[in-house]
Amino acid sequence: MKRRAFLSRAGVGVTGLAALAGCMGDSSDPDGGTETTDSGGKTGTAGSSGGTLTVATYSSFTGEDTAGNWLKSAFESERSDVTVEFRTPDSGVNQYIQRKSQGAPIDADLFVGLNTGELVRVDQQLDDRLFAATSERIEGADSVKSSLRFDPNGRVIPYDTGYISLVYDEGAVDEPQTFDSLLEPAYEDGLIVQNAQQSDPGRAFLLWSIKQQGTDGYLDYWQRLVDNGVQILSDWEPAYQAYMNEEAPMVVSYSTDQVYYHGEDVDMSRHQIGFLNDQGYANPEGMAQFADAENPELAREFMSFVLSEEAQAEIAVRNVQFPAVEGVEPGGTFGKYALEPPEAVTFSYEELSGNVGGWIEEWARQIASN
Amino acid sequence: MRVGGDRALLIGVAATLLTLVAVFYYPVGSVLASAVSVGGRLTLSPLVSVLADPFYTGAFHSLVTAPATVPRGLARWAESGMPSVRLGLFGFTAYQALLSTLASVAVGLPGAYLLARFEFPGRRFVRSVTILPFVLPSIMVAVGFLAMFGRSGLLNDLLGVVGLGPVELTFTLELIVLAHAFYNAPLVTRLVTTAWESVDANRVETARTLGATPYRAFRDVTLPQILPALLTASVLTFVFTFMSFPLVLALGGLQLATVEVWLYARVQDLALTEAATLGALETALSLGLVYVYLRFEAMQISARGEGRGLARTPLVDGWRSLIDPRRLGLLAYGAVVLVLFVGPLASLVIESVTTPSGRLTLEYYAFLLSQQSSAAAGTTRPLPAIVNSLLFGAGALLLALPMGVVVSVVATRDGRGSRLAEALLTAPLAVSGIVLGLGMLRTLVFGTTVFGHRITLTGPVAIVAAHAVAGYPFVSRNVTPALSGVDDRLGEAARALGADRTAVLTDIELPLVAPALVAGAAFAFAISVGEFDSTVLLAEGLDSATMPVALERYIGNRSLGPNLGPATAMGTVLLAVTTVSFVVIDRVGGRWER
Repeated sequence: MKRRAFLSRAGVGVTGLAALAGCMGDSSDPDGGTETTDSGGKTGTAGSSGGTLTVATYSSFTGEDTAGNWLKSAFESERSDVTVEFRTPDSGVNQYIQRKSQGAPIDADLFVGLNTGELVRVDQQLDDRLFAATSERIEGADSVKSSLRFDPNGRVIPYDTGYISLVYDEGAVDEPQTFDSLLEPAYEDGLIVQNAQQSDPGRAFLLWSIKQQGTDGYLDYWQRLVDNGVQILSDWEPAYQAYMNEEAPMVVSYSTDQVYYHGEDVDMSRHQIGFLNDQGYANPEGMAQFADAENPELAREFMSFVLSEEAQAEIAVRNVQFPAVEGVEPGGTFGKYALEPPEAVTFSYEELSGNVGGWIEEWARQIASN
Repeated sequence: MRVGGDRALLIGVAATLLTLVAVFYYPVGSVLASAVSVGGRLTLSPLVSVLADPFYTGAFHSLVTAPATVPRGLARWAESGMPSVRLGLFGFTAYQALLSTLASVAVGLPGAYLLARFEFPGRRFVRSVTILPFVLPSIMVAVGFLAMFGRSGLLNDLLGVVGLGPVELTFTLELIVLAHAFYNAPLVTRLVTTAWESVDANRVETARTLGATPYRAFRDVTLPQILPALLTASVLTFVFTFMSFPLVLALGGLQLATVEVWLYARVQDLALTEAATLGALETALSLGLVYVYLRFEAMQISARGEGRGLARTPLVDGWRSLIDPRRLGLLAYGAVVLVLFVGPLASLVIESVTTPSGRLTLEYYAFLLSQQSSAAAGTTRPLPAIVNSLLFGAGALLLALPMGVVVSVVATRDGRGSRLAEALLTAPLAVSGIVLGLGMLRTLVFGTTVFGHRITLTGPVAIVAAHAVAGYPFVSRNVTPALSGVDDRLGEAARALGADRTAVLTDIELPLVAPALVAGAAFAFAISVGEFDSTVLLAEGLDSATMPVALERYIGNRSLGPNLGPATAMGTVLLAVTTVSFVVIDRVGGRWER
């Protein structure tokens, strides 16, 4: 499993939303708020700009049967004068942060697959603006669920979301109910999680535990998790593989797990979803137009296409994520197997800003010096 | 040897240096510079802050923070019975590297003995495939190891049959050390076998004729000649396992983090000053080791005649050979090798043809075919990846062979500073892939402005350059001992007859060291084929994806359900293609052998 395939769903749940909703379109935008690269105004779906649209994204968003490939074909068939090209740098948004800070050309119009933590990193690393504020001018942007909007400055538009949860083997353990229950002897050597330094589900799980245990208590909580035999592997793929090899009966994963893993020769008892404390950590994925885009208008037209009802349903099914736009129900297998947590929690951009790096580093130091 | 008047060789040295400056020293320097400068001013503060941090240096941090208290602290520590002290990240990393080196030598040395001293069917083949671990992406090896040594793995199944076990190896230091042995024991075997085969049989026989016991002859004649190779292999293993990263991450997780794991995390977080400082310290340590070793090697090498190699004894030679303790030992060794090396690889191949529920299937190979015929944008096709791997490997080989030979010629000269020059020319071994990749990305790939022109190096050229830089030290590590063993009188005679230094090298010396040259070529090729970190950083488009990159992308493809099927199928293809390539290199090269 590709590091970024599964991840990039950070986001704004119930707690952060009131604050965020108030920030939309706020003129306190540090970037200056207004977009200056072209004439402005909302762009319609029946746009007029042609040419090549270069989309930077993660590699598993592209290829056969993927959301990215469906978007490319559908957009190109709607607009005969347009070609969509993908760039999939392995370092993700870091590639563009470094390009910007080195004065190298960006060579892309749009970035697809950005979460809250990454946006915080972008803003922390760069004084120059990497992305343009476009949300005011994209048709359909106002229909995105307000709970998922995570950029107070209107640059990143969410297009889907996932929820971090546990996946467990009900033949081996009882359903884990709370974070505290994971410290019990019944769950000794029972849990595999991912490294929050480089894995999105791992990072989301750590943030979720900080939400639960508080910034003063989470290190102590993790020490007790380590004492109870938790294993922290690099990323989703090795973690899930170790889970499949029965190294432990629980693994941190996504609440859409069963959408992938159903079928006649699949033992569904090994794919049970556990929502600790009746929660899941929301991790929305967003897209943003580069400030240096060569084709900004086309980028915005593509973004509003991504938010169309048809595209939203396709992205949900092909990317195995929940839609970001109100009222879209993918149905079918997805509707049957994708589970939503009773309560979605997440840290807002403001809460993460200035904190997330320190939280993660202190956590990692604690684990590594064990 | 004098270089005087030898233009071709001088040009070779200059070209090698120029290439290194452009694709190694400049990019790496740009990263390391940020360890000693803040805001454009020289400063030691990043270094001091790392060295003074107990997280990094454990109990040793007081050497920096409070040097005056060190003697008193040491005395108190001795009084209390020398309890174990906190090692810090650097200490732990060195400790696991030491264990890994010991394990690699323990596993690799008997293999060299077997291959160099015994004749058996398939010996050449086994010798060729000792290079295979070098091309295997660590994520695949980690999966193979879990399948072999995991809780429900093959080893525990086998132990269960004889009523033993189960052994809990996953997520332990022991498993990481074993995995490091998987990668590095073949290196020990390979380098030592080459040296052992070059031992002059005449000198051994002379010693025996003079009354030396076989043991004495081994100690006084053979051992001094294989020791440099063994030390080379040990130092390389230590450096490699010190810089270990993906395996530690996959098999041990954050609880067993090494310096490199931490460095990578700092890079991910774009904390580049701290990452560069760690990289600088790591590089200084490994470079120091390489330098110490090179000095030692220079003292060890003794000239030898053009004599013939040792004769090999048949492994199986009548019934008597079956109760020979040496042969019984080798048989036991063979069993260990089967478990350690064949086990994980066999699990990989088996996983590629079985479903999670254990049914035989070919759908993962059908998946590869469907990827090949897919018209979808962003599809990673297997065939171009195979072709790219072979082309880049050949390109890297063409560049790395002359570079390696040039370095070897410098190394075998006794001039002042030639050890230092050799250390500088061997430096790529001591620099982690992450530091090199980061440096290349920030300088050559993003482009650098020279006289108002933006110069960028992307795509295949950058990849081949990076692979050649990673591979040429292996050419020289193989060629140097062999070259220094060539009788100087041959060269002198040729030069007296009018041949210049280059002609001596190409017409006399290189043909004499052909086996070492071929071994080095195989290494350079293998490293190129297996290289992942810098390839993935430098290959932005799918056009330059290689086999390991394709494999990594297939791991992310879950269209066939919760398994590594597509990736193991690609891994099996990788295994097959590279096995064939090495056997070919070895056989073709073998025609020069005496």
